[in-house]
Amino acid sequence: MERTNIRRIVVSGALGAVSAVMAVTPLGYLPWFGGASLTIMHIPVIIAAILEGPVAGAIVGLVFGVTSMVKAATAPIGPLDPLFANPLVSVLPRLFIGVVAWGVYRLFRGKLTPLAAGLAGAAGGITNTVLVLGALGLTAAAQLSGTFGVATSALPAVLATIALTNGLIEAAAAAVFTSAIITAWKGVEGARGASRLSDEERRQP
Amino acid sequence: MKGIEFFRNVSIGRYVDVDSPVHRLTPVAKYLWLMAIIIPVSVSSSTAAVLACSIIALACTVLAHVRLGFLLRGFVPVLPLFGIAAVFQALLSWPGDASPILVAIGPASLSMREMMAIASMALRFVAMMLAIGLFTSVTTEGDTARGVEDLFAPLSLLGFPARGFALTIAVAFRFIPIVAGEFESVVKAQAARGADFGSGARGPIRKARAYLPLIVPVTIRALERAEALGEAMEARCYGVGPATRYVRSVGSTADTMARIGAVMFAVAALAGPLILGLH
Repeated sequence: MERTNIRRIVVSGALGAVSAVMAVTPLGYLPWFGGASLTIMHIPVIIAAILEGPVAGAIVGLVFGVTSMVKAATAPIGPLDPLFANPLVSVLPRLFIGVVAWGVYRLFRGKLTPLAAGLAGAAGGITNTVLVLGALGLTAAAQLSGTFGVATSALPAVLATIALTNGLIEAAAAAVFTSAIITAWKGVEGARGASRLSDEERRQP
Repeated sequence: MKGIEFFRNVSIGRYVDVDSPVHRLTPVAKYLWLMAIIIPVSVSSSTAAVLACSIIALACTVLAHVRLGFLLRGFVPVLPLFGIAAVFQALLSWPGDASPILVAIGPASLSMREMMAIASMALRFVAMMLAIGLFTSVTTEGDTARGVEDLFAPLSLLGFPARGFALTIAVAFRFIPIVAGEFESVVKAQAARGADFGSGARGPIRKARAYLPLIVPVTIRALERAEALGEAMEARCYGVGPATRYVRSVGSTADTMARIGAVMFAVAALAGPLILGLH
């Protein structure tokens, strides 16, 4: 199916649904030692951006952000959830994940697809971490310093540490997932695109 | 994997089917009021604005015949968070804080200004909970998607694809139970084949790869369904000819006044404290 408006709409909708389901159920969090967990909910955003462009990525990012905001506001579980009820923290940063991932993918598109997809995934993961932590730091400095128990002036250092440790690991995980999904999809697409007739012709002795 | 049974019943909001003045508003009016409450609560630094928004949210909840406890149920688990924040605020004091001390135990002291900061933080969260919870309680899924289209309809004159955007939201809503069901069936199928997601794996790359058999099939199948849906839409000539809609929402004068009221309230909440110099 060629790249049409309809395709962009349905792919964005489907991947938005995947992201929403990941956000609302425990699936979006991969357990990591130390009690923390890695999120993978930004991966559908990256996939949408790679497959259908920055606009689709922005829309799925919007769906991801709004879903995480609604969940944080109606069914909070973690200590940071009240801060994620703020759309400036949950929605605004997520709009850029797709754009960055799309840009990186276009940069490396000539090279091996798995590599380009992996780099785009990593870039998307880093964007998510940096922008969300930045938004948290800008809007909720007082609450964060209360939660972490540090003085407000030490907050940038705390956030930077989180960005480096958690963020890099999430970026690596995002690279793995994105690369796997994109290569699988390109394979599926190629297989389904070939018509049955050409199969028959090849089978003739 | 824990709790693999409940995935199919996942839903983002909980619609309460009751007749009330709030339920009878058009989706656009509901969206406008939702944003009139959320935007000041998120952006404004004035406690008075947050208080006004909370009162409005409270009033709407009562008007909509929605039980307050239903919406605030989620607040109880986060109470400890505010308690811990209060404790830390008591232990560290802000430089230049000259407000009266409320409680002092040894070296820890909680000043009026710190107390106000905690209360403001809690109040903001309560307002968000009420507003968003109430919106999902009075708006059906279909109305949520149609409301997006109606809301952005003026922008479509400038070329913004309001209909396409609303359709994306509607597709996402429709796919959520389907994708959740896919997750559940993949988890069960993999568990039946002895897959154990992630335990014992070391290192981020290996741990991520352990989850591949779950994430990749679900995403690929979602994309395949999307493709089928797109072909079906094309076969029914979507995009060719004028766009029509089966359900139209008709607004009354009361509804128009509600919309105007929402915009005026938002402007007042944002600009009022600045003009009046409130705190």
